[in-house]
Amino acid sequence: MSAYLLVQRDDSSADFFDAAGRGQLQMKRGPSGTVLPPHARIDPDSTTPQLHPMVVSGQGTIVSWSVVHQAPHPALSDAVPYISALVELAEGPWLIVRLVGPTAPLHSGARVRARFARTGTEAQWGEVVPVFELVASPAQRSELLSPSNVADAARLEHG
Amino acid sequence: MSGSSRRATIAGLGITEMGKVYGRSTTSLAIDAVRLAVTDAGLVLSDLDGLLVTAGVTDSVGIGLASALGLQQLSVLNEVKAFGASAGVMVAQAAAAIAAGSATTVACVFADTPLKPKVSAGQSWGSSASRRKAPGAARGYAGWSLVSGAASPNILYALCTRRHMERYGTTSTQLAHIAVAQRSWAAGNPLATHREPMTVTEHQASRWIAEPLHLLDCCLVSNGAVAVVVTGADRAVYGPRPPVHIWGYGQAHAPRHMHAGSQWGLVTPAARSGPQAMRMAGIGVDDIDVAELYDCYTYTVLVTLEDYGFCAKGEGGAFVSDGRLAPGGALACNTGGGQLSSFYMWGFTPLSEAIVQARGDGGARQAPRNDVLIVSGNGGILEHHSTLVLSPHERGSA
Repeated sequence: MSAYLLVQRDDSSADFFDAAGRGQLQMKRGPSGTVLPPHARIDPDSTTPQLHPMVVSGQGTIVSWSVVHQAPHPALSDAVPYISALVELAEGPWLIVRLVGPTAPLHSGARVRARFARTGTEAQWGEVVPVFELVASPAQRSELLSPSNVADAARLEHG
Repeated sequence: MSGSSRRATIAGLGITEMGKVYGRSTTSLAIDAVRLAVTDAGLVLSDLDGLLVTAGVTDSVGIGLASALGLQQLSVLNEVKAFGASAGVMVAQAAAAIAAGSATTVACVFADTPLKPKVSAGQSWGSSASRRKAPGAARGYAGWSLVSGAASPNILYALCTRRHMERYGTTSTQLAHIAVAQRSWAAGNPLATHREPMTVTEHQASRWIAEPLHLLDCCLVSNGAVAVVVTGADRAVYGPRPPVHIWGYGQAHAPRHMHAGSQWGLVTPAARSGPQAMRMAGIGVDDIDVAELYDCYTYTVLVTLEDYGFCAKGEGGAFVSDGRLAPGGALACNTGGGQLSSFYMWGFTPLSEAIVQARGDGGARQAPRNDVLIVSGNGGILEHHSTLVLSPHERGSA
């Protein structure tokens, strides 16, 4: 069973979800060269409206995060506690994303990377969406394997 | 006297029953608040030639209120939408209309009814907020955003708070001092929802909402309405209550910049709005006796204190500790208990308390000095800000 609520595409997001289905994180790039979030409609540093899709590395760092205990929406009530994170991609854009997988003690600057998760359930599968996971440093690996963190990870994954 | 007819003052304040008020429509509460404010100013409804309306999370009051009030000859009628910054924006707009001679007497009103019987405050607010969104919110980028889980202000403010903690070492215990100080003030406010004392330990033991925010870092949810009447100083001096003079105002907006280098969460538009209002008023931060600061969360108070210049950026945690904001402390702040402990009327909570304090009506919670008061409004996720500088004295006579 999937841990993620059903997400469906609309016209403006179709390219983004197609890329996610291929395991690619797709942003947009404006004429000024600035890399913008996928929902951006215009490059504020340019006068021409044209934005182009750009597949980025999926590498980033944590700016901030929250362990959420009170579900903000009925669709998330089975998922708490979970982690929402503000992530800075290597290419510049900031995204607010779900942080999944084993968690070491978090700090700003911690390295993360995108991975891709199918939404919905067997009854109805939805789009694949990017979520993020911690990139463990060697020193952190032992912490990640500690039983309590494995339990946390399981809870986060299956919410 | 044409000079004083153009100098705006606050002459009336109306506050309805507040909190768990059920079975009354938003419009009926709004009508009550305007009626009370006009009466407080020694006027009648037909004296109004301006009405500014702002709605809360239920978005259930608008310019139709004018006809519900029977107002038929208005020069100014608008709905203002700057979220939590609306109150200050409205008073500034009323003051500008009076200064320009386009209106003489303007009522500004907020009304909201998100609380429902037998439903928790969080769920009441959440269901009101999500009702405003289009159905099928799990479509497209909005669906991806919902998967992120950061689907309410609680979580977005938690991200901002955590960022400040990571950068400057701010702690949850320091935030607790804000909540505890405000609860001490609330004990003296008969209208406050929570008047029983709170300790730092109780704050720390309150359940997590979204780390690092505990329940007692978060504001209440309330039903009710508040209105103020803004009019020229010439009218106000003949009113039954002491006029509150508007010395300065400012607003600034910074929709969040989602890119490397962004200061979102660490520096808010208060850093522009505050100095703008203080410059207009001809004061500095050291002149302020009373600070009524928008407090959707404890952190909002801390970051506003920094951005207004009460302390340096990053030093807010140390500044708010040791009872500085509590009764008897160096800075009288959120003297009615604020939205954390009294009631949640968005920017009209700090505005109404500033009027109470400027008039000397605070009773058990009256601040020792009230010559200069500053009022903040904050909306969005630290993205919209308004500031008022008020005084019981005419400007230049303090």
